[in-house]
Amino acid sequence: MKKEFTPRITSFLCKWCSYTGADLAGTARLQYPTSIIPIQVMCSSRVDPVFLIKAFLSGSDGVLIGGCHPGDCHYETGNYHARRRFAIVMGVFDSLGLESQRLKLSWISASEGPKFARVANEYTEEIMALGENPTRKSIFL
Amino acid sequence: MIPREDEPMTDAQRKGAVLPVAKDPGDAILEFLRLAVASELADAVILPMKVPSGDSYAWILMNDVSLMDDAVPIAAAMPVQGAKALRSLTRKSPGNLTVIAVMRPCEIRAAVELVKLGQVHADNLILATYDCPGAVQLQKYVDDPEGSEEHFSRMLQSGKPDNTAKPVCHYCEEFSMFDSDLHFGYLGLSEKEVLVIPGSDKGSELLAGLGLDPARDLSDWEKGIDSLKVERETARKSAFEETGEQLRGFSGMLSVFANCIGCHNCQSACPICYCRLCYFDSETAQQDPDALITAAAKRGGISLPEDRIMFHVGRMTHMSLSCVSCGQCTDACPVSIPVAGAFSYVADRTQRTFEYKAGRNDGDPLPLRQFRKSELPGIHELVKNAESEGPSHE
Repeated sequence: MKKEFTPRITSFLCKWCSYTGADLAGTARLQYPTSIIPIQVMCSSRVDPVFLIKAFLSGSDGVLIGGCHPGDCHYETGNYHARRRFAIVMGVFDSLGLESQRLKLSWISASEGPKFARVANEYTEEIMALGENPTRKSIFL
Repeated sequence: MIPREDEPMTDAQRKGAVLPVAKDPGDAILEFLRLAVASELADAVILPMKVPSGDSYAWILMNDVSLMDDAVPIAAAMPVQGAKALRSLTRKSPGNLTVIAVMRPCEIRAAVELVKLGQVHADNLILATYDCPGAVQLQKYVDDPEGSEEHFSRMLQSGKPDNTAKPVCHYCEEFSMFDSDLHFGYLGLSEKEVLVIPGSDKGSELLAGLGLDPARDLSDWEKGIDSLKVERETARKSAFEETGEQLRGFSGMLSVFANCIGCHNCQSACPICYCRLCYFDSETAQQDPDALITAAAKRGGISLPEDRIMFHVGRMTHMSLSCVSCGQCTDACPVSIPVAGAFSYVADRTQRTFEYKAGRNDGDPLPLRQFRKSELPGIHELVKNAESEGPSHE
């Protein structure tokens, strides 16, 4: 029997908004897939481009950054900087022809438990349609 | 040079002063510099000089005018990126010496990026460029200095790089720089003259101090430059198409970079990579042995040492916004990976994302030092319809 593909989505969630949103999704008993592997960061701008590349090359099928909505950053401007950094990684991935669909940036506030669950569900579906990350099988890294 | 508060001159207003040429353009530049130092308008100059063994060049900071006799302002090869020389001189403060540096346009553009990064203090520097025909690949130069000099003198006459030049030189569009304090132009002109064109107040003041009147119209010179530019643009387009095809996908990335030996020479030769301790050289970047064993078990095997591909992709995200495509990384690579081709191609795209051009001296801060509240539409659009419900915080 063929084992069903369960994606692994490394998720960098900001402590103040998205991680709390994920918590809220949990306490509200909203269903979202186990593919989401949450990592708490103090701010979405803490996520260096290298984190995304490392996760991607280590075989994560998707990488998610969750931050506060623009204007809501706990540190005032962190998420704006995160957005610029994210754009660079997207630019590098696109020009190298790596699958930039495997990288996502989303704004999820602390009160948006339902949004977190929906994002997790829909993103997992999207990644399942894409299939396994080709780097997962590579021995040359 | 930076900051420039007044309105920059428009191209139509630009004019140049004529320098007589005795032997070659390099000679005219030397004569100009001797005059500047003798009239105490500059304290010193930075120029390339042949090393004693004769098979390479080194940057020399010269106070002594007599040393200039052995200097070669337009050197055939560029062993050390000039911006690195400027950084070593001014990384702490502008200093109190007025120094004229004559360098290739890509070296000055790297210096402009280093100014933005706080690594070069250009207040007392007068940065001068010249029409660059390209630079001979370092390995080729070291193997055959005399032959390379012959190749280069032909390149200098035609303004076109030949097969001994670095690959990136063939499609460099910024080989002639208007943005520096001074520019020495000779392409498209008669062999008897070199134009010195001021590009900033500092440049204009120096010319005025020397009694040189920038009265010559630039149209002849510009015609020469423009025709070369068209050729380079065509070459650039096809080179980028080829590189893009080569790099396509993870397998493409592997086909170009898998023979990397992890020496990080490309990073140490890079003028932009100034960090004293690069993340990729740090202990943090080393994987835990247990993690490697697990990874090998999952994949069936894993190449060691780890993360050679990550180093290159990571470096692209870290420095491509400031990459000036000088090609030093390719010169430094002991296994002949076309590093500069790949980086130049990626940099062209990442810089366009922010409508930024590395090395332009237009007062634009680095893209990562600024943001707009509303920009980069679509970059965070997660899933279809995702943004339509729920509270809006924008």
